[in-house]
Amino acid sequence: MAPRVIKGLLRSGFALELAKGAAKWSYRKESRAFKLWLDFLFDSMKRGFRRERPVVWISAFTPSEIPYAFNLDPMLPEVIACLAAHMGASDSAISMAEQRLYSTDLCSFYRCGVGLALGEYLPKPDLIISTSHLCDGAHRFFHNMSQLFGCDHYLIDVPYGNGGRDRAYLVDELYDLADFIEKRTGLHLDEGRAAEVIELSNRTRQIMLEINELRRRIPSPFSGSEGMSYVLGMNFCTLGSQLGLAFYRALQGMIQERASGGEGIIGEEKYRLLWLHHIKPYYPNAIFDILEGHGAVVSFEEANHVYWDPMDPRHPLESLATKLLSNFGCGPIEHRIRAILEMAGKYRINGAIHFSHWGCRQSCGGSHMVRDAMRERGIPVLVLDGDGADVRNYSEGQTRTRLEAFIEMLG
Amino acid sequence: MIVAGVDIGSLSSEAVILVDGEIVSYSIIPTGADIQKAARTCMQEALERAHLKFEDVSTTVATGYGRISVPFATKTVTEITCHARGAQRLSPNTRTVIDMGGQDSKVISIDTDGRVLDFVMNDKCAAGTGRFLEVMAGALEVDLAEMGERSARARNGVVISSMCTVFAESEVISLIAAGCSKNDIIRGLHEAISKRIFAMAGKLRMERPVTMTGGVAKNKGIVDALRRLLKGEIHVPEEPQIVGALGAALSA
Repeated sequence: MAPRVIKGLLRSGFALELAKGAAKWSYRKESRAFKLWLDFLFDSMKRGFRRERPVVWISAFTPSEIPYAFNLDPMLPEVIACLAAHMGASDSAISMAEQRLYSTDLCSFYRCGVGLALGEYLPKPDLIISTSHLCDGAHRFFHNMSQLFGCDHYLIDVPYGNGGRDRAYLVDELYDLADFIEKRTGLHLDEGRAAEVIELSNRTRQIMLEINELRRRIPSPFSGSEGMSYVLGMNFCTLGSQLGLAFYRALQGMIQERASGGEGIIGEEKYRLLWLHHIKPYYPNAIFDILEGHGAVVSFEEANHVYWDPMDPRHPLESLATKLLSNFGCGPIEHRIRAILEMAGKYRINGAIHFSHWGCRQSCGGSHMVRDAMRERGIPVLVLDGDGADVRNYSEGQTRTRLEAFIEMLG
Repeated sequence: MIVAGVDIGSLSSEAVILVDGEIVSYSIIPTGADIQKAARTCMQEALERAHLKFEDVSTTVATGYGRISVPFATKTVTEITCHARGAQRLSPNTRTVIDMGGQDSKVISIDTDGRVLDFVMNDKCAAGTGRFLEVMAGALEVDLAEMGERSARARNGVVISSMCTVFAESEVISLIAAGCSKNDIIRGLHEAISKRIFAMAGKLRMERPVTMTGGVAKNKGIVDALRRLLKGEIHVPEEPQIVGALGAALSA
């Protein structure tokens, strides 16, 4: 389809409705949860292009509860970049960014995001919010986008530590951010609405915990491939919303049904794997098929671990600051290692795959320390170097050899 | 019992025939463009040398990047496991295997039974592989087999900074134009490749003894450069190129 036609379709609410209907028909055998994901994607794009409300772009680790508290829908370019890769469209977006002199060493998700923005495939933002933690490239990308679109960018500077002073600093920042949003959008942060959003987030969190409990079952009732795709997308985009709650309820129902019937995602589950890092390759690839073909199932993903405590709806911003600081990816690597080792025990893991995404310092930097710590506990780890969005960096033969050799090691 | 191992690499293919666990014959041929033909040809050659027929072989295990395309294979095993098993058979105390093949290099930690404990491979880049050396030999207009001996005759140190095959080729041509001797350049290439492998080995908890396998292990210049870096002995089997196929046969 010609880019001009795609752009035209994106801007037409009617065409997006038609496309949503077509997508739902073609994915009619998928679960209700998956269809809710489609609803979310199409509806948020439609609202964004129609400019019904101010468009807020947020980074993957920015709490989505903040825009929802202002009755704003967050839009996550990183998640759209994953979708573009899934649809085979990331290479042209990446190429567009490279033509504008973006280095090939820059994370491919951001190169893809730049290309999508330059090509006007994303609703223009009125406001951008990102955080400094976990992702090294995010705030540079979002700052750059704010320059491109001439809108304001608020960077939430998440401290390295998690003591009282760090929390106080972050709480101040979140209050400042709330003022900033009020001034830029004219919307007011209503205490009742903020409490409601935190309540919704807490209820969703509880369901996520129950889902994760189900995922401890043998055989694995849910695939890590799905966990790393639309489930993670909804985790980033919908916490604090009614849709998020509905999505996780539907997902829980599906997994509960499978678990109750003792149904695993493959015939004979020989090995249970843990997927480490927040990224998998999103372009069409054979990784999970190769693993499953050898009886290896990704039973759980680090990215879907619920690390935060329930929040206090009476103190929304204070609670969100605590949530941000409790992320096990913040601070020294020992926090992450401790959390991963707990997951390995909880989900009865035989081995782990650490996907080290090209351009992601956060994942590549800690991978060998994680590997060594797990190996000391007798858990083999494959550090799989690769790229999450740029298919040009994927070689099936090389990947197959690494995965199969790893499975042979487990055997 | 007669079993066979076939290793289909990007540059060469090998077959090893075992009778009651002992090597009775092997063959090494260039892979070429037709993997299935290469598999049949190397198997046929090895069988002829052992005065055996295809039907005599009870199990054939395929390995190497072309393993999934060997039509007569009973099963497939990765080259990582096969090099570990093959090296352990030839040098039972081995704890680390450095395999440098046509398109990739691997460092493999193994236990006393030849089981893989951990491994690292080169990434998408061809530096430090047989293909890299082949391209450099072409740029220098020297025989690939002569490179080891020539590097031993080097008098001056030449530093090769580029590890991209294409850029290193240009660098080599520039060094020739600048009057550097071919022997010095070859030694510089060997040093550069060895540093890369040494860095890769550093990602593992490398234990000794070390065995080197794969076609590149026939290059004395590389082995010597690695010995200097590792500050220790490296065992090179009599025919390092068949270790993968041997490991495959042992996996039958």
